[in-house]
Amino acid sequence: MITFPGPVSALLTLRVSADRDGIARVLSLERFARDVLPDVRATIPAFNRLLIEGSPHSWDPDEVEALLTAAAKECVLGAPTEPETGDPVSLPVCYDPELAPDLEDLAAGTGLGVEEVARLHSSTTYVVLATGFAPGFAYLGDLDARIAMPRLPTPRRRVEVGSVGIADRRTGIYPAAGPGGWRLIGRVPSALFADPTERISRFRAGGTVRFRRIDRDAYEAECA
Amino acid sequence: MSPHGVVDRPGPFCTIQDLGRRAGRRAGLAPGGAMDQRAYLWANRLLGNDPGAPALEVTLGGFALRFAVATVVAITGQGCVPTLDGVETGAWRTVRAQPGQQLRLGYGSAGMRTYLAFPGGLDVATAFGSASAVVRDGLPGLLGRRIRPGEPLRWRAPDHWCPIRRLPDQLIPATTDSLTVPLVTGYEWLDFSSTDRRRVFDAIWAVDPASDRTATRLAGPALTTGPRVLDSTPLVDGTVQVTGDGRPLVFMRDRPTIGGYAKLGSADPIALDALAQARPGTPVRFVRAEPDVLRTALIRRESFFGIGAPRR
Repeated sequence: MITFPGPVSALLTLRVSADRDGIARVLSLERFARDVLPDVRATIPAFNRLLIEGSPHSWDPDEVEALLTAAAKECVLGAPTEPETGDPVSLPVCYDPELAPDLEDLAAGTGLGVEEVARLHSSTTYVVLATGFAPGFAYLGDLDARIAMPRLPTPRRRVEVGSVGIADRRTGIYPAAGPGGWRLIGRVPSALFADPTERISRFRAGGTVRFRRIDRDAYEAECA
Repeated sequence: MSPHGVVDRPGPFCTIQDLGRRAGRRAGLAPGGAMDQRAYLWANRLLGNDPGAPALEVTLGGFALRFAVATVVAITGQGCVPTLDGVETGAWRTVRAQPGQQLRLGYGSAGMRTYLAFPGGLDVATAFGSASAVVRDGLPGLLGRRIRPGEPLRWRAPDHWCPIRRLPDQLIPATTDSLTVPLVTGYEWLDFSSTDRRRVFDAIWAVDPASDRTATRLAGPALTTGPRVLDSTPLVDGTVQVTGDGRPLVFMRDRPTIGGYAKLGSADPIALDALAQARPGTPVRFVRAEPDVLRTALIRRESFFGIGAPRR
């Protein structure tokens, strides 16, 4: 479905699931849009949607609709596109209840125990489904269904930088301290968020991410 | 490197701004940029600067800058009463200053933001293609904070000569007691009830005091229908979002790039300039926009100021 939320923009919503398969199809539509449309100024993929911003000098909504509706259909119906094959971003995570206030609750709630939650969380290769919310924040999917939990009913006023949260079938890392409602099950050493450019540029939609489990000593060493 | 000027007093909120950044938007960086782009563009135009040269955005007043060199600056926007060594200069013009002279921007009676442009633009670092400060995003140095008392400033072409220029009165945007904002309906518009959709256009909204560089919040009747929280959707400039309490807000320059609340569409990008100057309490009405008309206005804006021209 295509809509026009602004005078020089188009929003495409693909009828696909908002997961790793969905974002791969959205990214293939993004490549098409950038190839065929003139003067594309920005594109933002997120989950099963793609925003395209053009130039008022060349924007023709009828033309955009004709070009993209057919392409969107192909992206939905075509064979699943493999997510990009570049090296995954690898991040160390310490799963320690002292650093992760929701870890024990989640371990008890799922009946799996802390060890198994940590093992399941760190044994998946995730795909970046969207970036945003804060610069450098990535929505990663798909989280193992066995450790999926909805976000907290009331967000925390302060979440520490590097906190690893989960919300439904997604996980993500808070790149800066601030309020947040995801359930916190681990911590990435804050040193990895010290450089702003690195922090902001680390993830891009469609990229892959792996978590590498580290113990508390290694965590403290990386923070020092 | 000695400064060309020092900010003695920055006032309540003073930052460096330009046209904002497109690079980085995909990674979640706010666009940033001058809140009132028309006033900002005129400031650079009056000096003969590049249209996107970094300038100061001063909020409300309480600002003072002491010059260390003989130079010329441009003052545009609304909200302040400019004086040079105590002599009122007026705005929408260039002003010549001598070393040791102090330019003050006192509190005015209408408007919110004043722009100060300098020859060649401020000599500051950029990141992701822009010098705009977005405090929330935490970029380093002046890209991530407001101007502090004693802040030294340098400009890129201090020796640039420029005559005294004034914008003719008929080109100076009028300060208005009320605003009419064209709205392009979109996003979840059709998920709101017909009563709510009528209410959007019938109500007289008022600019809420909690408004800032991120959003102009509107007080008025609560919209009761429409989805509440969704998977985050990419936002366009001026997106009008309905938050949990049923009140709409218009996203401004420091907006997020994706948003999870229901959205009515987006405000005319050019109307954001006037919204940026609207004080709390200013009545706002939405009218249905014709996207063709908005595009034509955008083409005129971009062509006149020499920005965003086609790249091929």
